[in-house]
Formats: sequence, C-alpha cells, structure tokens
Amino acid sequence: MNPAPSSSATDAAPVLQAAGLRKSFLSGEGSIEVLRGVDLSVMAGESVSVRGESGCGKSTLLNLLSGLDTPDAGTLTWAGHPPRGDRRAAFLGMVFQSFYLIPELNALDNVLMAARMLKPPGAAERARAADLLARVGLAPRATHLSTQLSGGERQRVAVARALMNSPQLLLADEPTGNLDERTGDAVIELLLELCRETRTALVLVTHNAVHAGKTSRHLSLHNGVFQ
Amino acid sequence: MPWYLYLALKQLFPAGRKFPFFTAISVLGVALGVMVLVVSTSVMGGFGREIRRWTVDTTGDVQVRADGGINRPADFLAQLTKVPGVVAATPFAEGVVMLEHNLKPSYPAVRGIDVERVEAVTPLSKYIYFGKLDDLDDDSVILSSQLAAAIGARVGDKVEVYSPLLIEALKSDEAYLGRELRVCGIFEIGHQALDSSLVFVTLRTMQDLYGRRGSADGFDVKITPGLDPDEAAARINAALPPALHGHARSWMEINHDLIFILQLEQNMIFFLLTFIIIVAAFSVTSSLLISVVRKTREIGLLGALGGQPRQVAACFCFQGLVIGMAGTVTGLALGATVLTFRDNIVAAFTRLTQSEAAIERFYQFKQLPAHYSASYITAIIVCTITVCTLAGLLPAWRAARLKPVEALRSE
Ligand SMILES: Nc1ncnc2c1ncn2[C@@H]1O[C@H](COP(=O)(O)OP(=O)(O)OP(=O)(O)O)[C@@H](O)[C@H]1O
Ligand SMILES: [Mg+2]
Repeated sequence: MNPAPSSSATDAAPVLQAAGLRKSFLSGEGSIEVLRGVDLSVMAGESVSVRGESGCGKSTLLNLLSGLDTPDAGTLTWAGHPPRGDRRAAFLGMVFQSFYLIPELNALDNVLMAARMLKPPGAAERARAADLLARVGLAPRATHLSTQLSGGERQRVAVARALMNSPQLLLADEPTGNLDERTGDAVIELLLELCRETRTALVLVTHNAVHAGKTSRHLSLHNGVFQ
Repeated sequence: MPWYLYLALKQLFPAGRKFPFFTAISVLGVALGVMVLVVSTSVMGGFGREIRRWTVDTTGDVQVRADGGINRPADFLAQLTKVPGVVAATPFAEGVVMLEHNLKPSYPAVRGIDVERVEAVTPLSKYIYFGKLDDLDDDSVILSSQLAAAIGARVGDKVEVYSPLLIEALKSDEAYLGRELRVCGIFEIGHQALDSSLVFVTLRTMQDLYGRRGSADGFDVKITPGLDPDEAAARINAALPPALHGHARSWMEINHDLIFILQLEQNMIFFLLTFIIIVAAFSVTSSLLISVVRKTREIGLLGALGGQPRQVAACFCFQGLVIGMAGTVTGLALGATVLTFRDNIVAAFTRLTQSEAAIERFYQFKQLPAHYSASYITAIIVCTITVCTLAGLLPAWRAARLKPVEALRSE
C-alpha cells in the first residue's frame, strides 16, 4: 500500500522519530506517569537496545511506537509520516515475550499471516515465507501446528513472521524472556543478523546485558526518560 | 481471500483436528431447526396440494350451480363454452341415495355424470382401478373403494338403489321398486370422505332416480391452464343469464375455509418453528463469545500484525454466516431425506402407537402428502442465514472492541 520509496530522501529521514512522548495510567485514586517525555530517533540499519527495571515503562513505550496505543503528549512519525493503523502491517513487525502464534495454523501459515494482512499471498509470498522459515532453521517443521513446536521454535516462527513483509522497523519486547540462555542467544543472533541484512531498524527491549551489548546503540529507561 | 475470512474458516475447521467439534455441534443445531421447518411446511404444502387435487379432479377448476337446476343443459353448455378461458364443461346432478348389497345398506352421495364429456374436465379414469369408465351405462354404477369394501360389492355384482322418491311414493301409497344397478367399476381418490361415500352413475340414471328428467344441477368446468380460477369464475358469472340464478365458484372458493385454515396453520408453524433456529443461533452466539474470550491474546496479536477492528469483527461475523450456510445446507438435505422416507417413518410411528386407522380417519389421507414450496424454502434459507449472521454480531462486536494493547497484556 505504501511502498517505501528507495530515494535518498527517505533514507535520510529517520525510520522512527519520537519526541516528548508522555503516557500516564489511572491507578487507584491517582494516576501514575510512566513516560515523561521520551525522545527517540532510529535510522535505517540501526539497532537500539532499551533496558530498564521491571515496570519502568518499556512495553508501554513500544506500544506507543507501534501505534497500538496513543501517547498523552508528544509526536511520533514513521518514516516521516504520522502512524496509521492501516500502514502498520507493511511498516513494522513486532516480536513479543510470549509468542502469540495462531494455534489453528501451522508454522508456515503463521508466517504467511503477516503477508495476508496486506493481500492474499501468491507464490512469491509463499516462497519468501518458506525461505524465512529456512533461515530460522525450521524448514522441516513448516507444516507443524504451532502447538507442536517448542518455545524456542515458536519464537523463531514469530521472528520470521515479523520480518515477512520486509518491514522498515522491528520492535522486539523481551523476545528471549521465556527462553533458556542458549536458545535466547540464538534467537537474538538471528534477529540481529536478519535486520542487518535488510537494513531493518530494530528496537530491542531486553533485560539481558549481553544481548543489549550487541546492538549499535544502548539506551536505558529510568523515571520515564532515557538516561 | 482476505485474511479475516481465511482465519474464520481456519478457526471453524482447524487443520490437524480430524473433527471440528464446536463447528459440527453449532451446525447440527441449526440444521435440525431447518430440517423441522422444511418437513413441516412441505407436509402442510402437501395438504394444500391434495385439497386442490381432489377438488379439481372430481369437480373441475370451476363449478357452476343453478338454484333451480339447469333445464336445458345443451343450450347452457353452448353458452358456457363461449366464455373466454373455458376449455370444456360437463353437466352433473347430485343427490343422496340408499344403496344396498347383500342386505348391507349404505347411504352414499351420488353424482350423475355425462360419460361423453366428463373426461374432458376431470381425469376420473385415473382413479378407477377396477373396471372402466367407458363401461358406465344407464344400468350401472361406479363405487368408491371403501364403500365397496363395506358392503362387500365387487365389479359385476348387482346393487339395489333407492332414492328419496321412495318416500314420496310411500306417502301416496304407490308401489316403488328400487333400481337395480350393476357395479361396473371401483375408484379410489385417496381422500377418506370421498372414498367411503361417493358413487358415480350416468346423468340420465341420476335424473331418473330423482325424477328430474332432462335437467342438471350444474356444470363442472375446465379452464385454460395458467388462468386464475377465480378470474375464470368471475368471467363465467358475468356471462350467466340472470334468470338462471346460477353462480360459478372456483375450487379455491369452494374450499375457502379449509384453505384459509391450512394457510394460517402453515404460517403459524413456520413462525413457531423459526424459534428453533433462533435458539440454535443463541448457541452459536455463546460458542463464538467463548471463542472470543479464549482467543483474546490472538485478537490482540491480529491488531499488532496490522488487522483493523472491523476486519476482526468480520472474522467472527463470517463464522456465524458459515455456520448458518452449512446448517441450512445440512438441514435441507436432512429435510429432503425425511420427506423421501416419510411414508416409512409414518408407518413405523403408527405401528409403534397402533394408531394407523385413527390417523387416516383424522387426516383423510392414506399417505402423507408433501410439496416443496419455493417461497417457504426461500424464506427458510434467508431466515436461517440472516439469524446466524446476526448471531455472530455480538461476538464480533466484543472482538472488535478489544484494544490490542490490553488484549496482549491479558494472561
Ligand atoms: N493499561 C494499564 N493500566 C494501568 N497501568 C498500566 C497499564 N499498562 C501499564 N501500566 C503500568 O505502567 C507501568 C509500566 O508498565 P510496562 O508494562 O510498560 O513495564 P515494563 O517496563 O515493560 O516492565 P517489564 O520489564 O516487567 O515488562 C507499570 O507500573 C504498569 O503497572
Ligand atoms: Mg514489558
């Protein structure tokens, strides 16, 4: 729908630009301000890690960046345009801590689901989905239902799905939180490698210092702002 | 196929599950409702058809009667056939007689017919299964099947017939002998009242029995196929000479009360049985609602993947539609099967309850009639699919209202 123009003008514009993002939630009698003016700019090909203690608002921030939630104040642009729900499928991919695969579908169809959001998939999309599954090492399991896959395998399917539409931006919220160390490392390696290949901008929320260290930029969220 | 329709089908018929239980049960509920509706409206429609058949096949599309009788039937016939839309007409005379065989009396209605003309109006021969209509002459009679059985008369037997003239004769002390008629045929129309108490003689015999030589009570009329019988009756009425005091009525008008009651019953049954479908639709709603709650996080995920709320709604609404369509198709098939084997089913039922005779007496039929009415079938299909789609609306609305952020947070 909105093919990214490959002109240098777009390359120059940040894939993601947020300025002064604020978000507060009602809790009990008062309201708590979780984000107090977050500024963030991510260029194509860049990878940013976000760390911070539990409850500091990392997931809240990703929800704002993905356009799923609206900020109380501040501005957000996707490749220079205001975020719109009907552009999300083409513009960004998301990976969550829990894997959220659709249990009625097999691994391949779960990956293809992202493509379906844009249009009914053709041979090219099928080939790409199979390719991505092969890249995450799950080619032999393409026809297995998601309930038949292990946690690590499911997360790899989710990574493949997030990259299916060749998004400009990938938002990952503790993608290794439910995985053992070795599997987690493998998933992060895969994520970084795939993003590097396609110059996909990556925002990675993680508690793991080693994983965070592998990104090109490191941020930490504290008291509602980046330190 | 858009993703939401694809996902709806996948949720109804998940891959890897051999038998989609939720779907099958929902579909079955709807199908049972549709089946009952199809069967009952078709049987009611069959009753309507039967009324038409036995009326039109014995007295024509339109019947003309004159209060004082028609004294010059031949002249009247010539006038009648000039009316546009009238294809053929045949005179008749009616009355009641006492008929006796082997000292077994019966009191049938008797209809005098013009053997030459009657077949042009009503297909009587079709119903005569012993003997022939052509054999009917002024000294013979055709009996109805149950009457013949009751008095033990067979083709070739002689029966004695006494008319009301006997009473007149007794009053004036004249000698009156019954008239001896030979049984030349036995008919069965499939309508209990007609099959137990109607006999046919020639018009001339009937005139003799009632002492009204040369006159007829009225005419049975056949009209151009496709012409509205009421319209034809109106045309005939307009053409009748006022002096005749005659009146033409269509078969519908003759059976007006019966047809009215039947139509009323058919509509009532349709209305009441529609509630079965509505109840089935409620179960569709509740199982879809459960599925919305169960799939809260997946619905959140669909939002994160770029799905719009109205598309998520369409996904669930479409499931209701599919269940409705599958239920309709299954129900129609079940209904058609039941109707095909309806006689076996009724037979088994009556054997169980030993109520065969009672049912036949009450409903006037040996066999259960059935007639598919296009309008009722259409109404059933439209009604079922609409109701089931509506059943999907509430779950769809719930699903669309889920905020992806909150849905994803839910555990
Ligand atoms: N919908 C909501 N209503 C009320 N409070 C909320 C809501 N969403 C988030 N919060 C609060 O906002 C704060 C930040 O939550 P968030 O989920 O963003 O934390 P986090 O940094 O992702 O934590 P973790 O590392 O444990 O995932 C928490 O205190 C949480 O209770
Ligand atoms: Mg979080």
